Amino acid sequence: MAGAVSSRGCRRLRSSQIRDLLDTKHCVLFDCDGVIWNGEKAVVGAPEVVSLLKKRGKNVFFVTNNCTRPRESYVQKFSRLGFKDVGQNEILSSAYCSALYLRDVAKVQGKVFVIGGDGMYKELRQAGIPFVGGESDAAGVTISDCPLDSDIKAVLVGYDDKLNFMKLAKACCYLRNPECLFLATDTDPWHPLREGRVIPGSGSLTAALETATDRKATVIGKPSRFMFECIASQFAVDPARSLMVGDRLKTDILFGASCGVDTVLTLTGVSTLEEARSYRDSYAPEEQAFVPDYVVDTIADFLPALEDGGTL
Amino acid sequence: MAGAVTSKGCQKIRGSQIKELLDAKRNVLFDCDGVIWNGETAVPGAPEVVSLLKQQGKNVFFVTNNCTRPRENYVQKFSRLGFNDVAQEEIFSSAYCSAVYLRDVAKVQGKVFVIGGSGVYNELRDAGVPFVEEETDTAGGSIYDCPLDSEVKAVLVGYDEKFNFLKLAKACCYLRNADCLFLATDPDPWHPLRGGRVTPGSGSLTAALETATDRKATVIGKPSRFMFECIASQFGVDPAQSLMVGDRLETDILFGTNCGLDTMLTLTGVSKMEEAEGYKDSDTPEKKDFVPDYVVDTIADFLQIEEED
Repeated sequence: MAGAVSSRGCRRLRSSQIRDLLDTKHCVLFDCDGVIWNGEKAVVGAPEVVSLLKKRGKNVFFVTNNCTRPRESYVQKFSRLGFKDVGQNEILSSAYCSALYLRDVAKVQGKVFVIGGDGMYKELRQAGIPFVGGESDAAGVTISDCPLDSDIKAVLVGYDDKLNFMKLAKACCYLRNPECLFLATDTDPWHPLREGRVIPGSGSLTAALETATDRKATVIGKPSRFMFECIASQFAVDPARSLMVGDRLKTDILFGASCGVDTVLTLTGVSTLEEARSYRDSYAPEEQAFVPDYVVDTIADFLPALEDGGTL
Repeated sequence: MAGAVTSKGCQKIRGSQIKELLDAKRNVLFDCDGVIWNGETAVPGAPEVVSLLKQQGKNVFFVTNNCTRPRENYVQKFSRLGFNDVAQEEIFSSAYCSAVYLRDVAKVQGKVFVIGGSGVYNELRDAGVPFVEEETDTAGGSIYDCPLDSEVKAVLVGYDEKFNFLKLAKACCYLRNADCLFLATDPDPWHPLRGGRVTPGSGSLTAALETATDRKATVIGKPSRFMFECIASQFGVDPAQSLMVGDRLETDILFGTNCGLDTMLTLTGVSKMEEAEGYKDSDTPEKKDFVPDYVVDTIADFLQIEEED
């Protein structure tokens, strides 16, 4: 199909089209960072969109790769930023889903070595999974002589702003054993901060470990399907009647495509319309999965469709 | 050529075959770790081999990706392990060559932000390349508010036991500027330690940075040709008369192939004969570059050339 330019995808939606689209959906999944909030600021109109969707009887879930908080902390953040009545069971975070995976899928018998932070520790603790991570080493200890725990059966890597060389080295030693599981909360390579700064993401730390061990991590978060399977196993969710709204093409949109769910790119976060269009126009077949079905400037664009007196 | 199995390469040689090979070579390049020593122990016979080659009038060079020491420190290690008269000029380490690259090739005007250890810092200092001073404890510093040096024009990443998140994050911020150079001392992904342990290598830290910046580093060390170009520019070295001896197929042998040298795998280090033969039997053309021309169990086998047949 050389020369064929796909016109599929990246459809800008006007409010009547949004109404029609939402008419056909019983479930809306939202990414968080860059979609409903940025840092500590709600995207203008986002709380109202969520309330109205729920009023119209839609199931709303929040699917986030951000593994820095346990779910109860997210519940507080939702409340703090003006979102009413978002319950813990509507929040799927990669830290929570990693704990679920270890407990219910891998059924790990032994300890987990964690490269991560409090969010991950708390979710593991709540799931009853024993773990090691974050302990400081005695002065002068090196990877040649530090004690290694013989009960480690899995390594879980996620965002860790206290990452140091010893943690990386210990994880490598544990992963020498092919029976030791290798999990990553998510593959996000970096995240934007204010003033043009960036912060490395879980994907960056995972890359270090993959290179040093010549192994590939099993990824829990988007774009892997697992977080959708977590939702679908607890609630009756029909992919054909679900919508995924995200801001990152290689994470959220690819996730939606993998799960058979229609996708909306919102432009309040990381990815741009130009990037979406260049994937659409690309000849590489695998890049079609990064193309969103629809595009909105902000999810506040849903408001006119939802506020209208008409029935949905 | 599907199904064609090449018979070139992986030739185990000894005695008179080694003598014949060495007679045709003026220059022998040795990797260090896994070839002439392992940790603090010389490979038995290695010091004698180096002496013998020099006695025969050959040029002997040491080409190592290990960036943890400055060259004067390597000179001391050679001496300590029983190698006589190895001069600093014969040692080409990735830390030294990175400094040379920054000063003479990139001609960097500004500072270098370093992820690395004292080996790299010392070589940069010796070469007169300014760098951001290594901070001691950055208690309370975070990537949200730490100062960033506006004079940074290059990031150099190598093995660093003091590697931490803040260093990684700072390097990412510097590399947002497309004009900021991105160099890596070497791509080695890991190194073996005793007791089945491993340590991540420069390649692992570089991968973290490449992923977080969506940029590719310019690699100074093997298998890149640059360290050979350093040798060739200082000494008249003809690739056709040179032999590269190493223990890592993806690093040393590929380096030799890239530079047009004959290559020899020694089995006292990382790579195994089975891996070499696997590359030899592979259908993928690129994998042929990892196939050594010759194989020895240990470089001590060179001493056989002195035996009567």
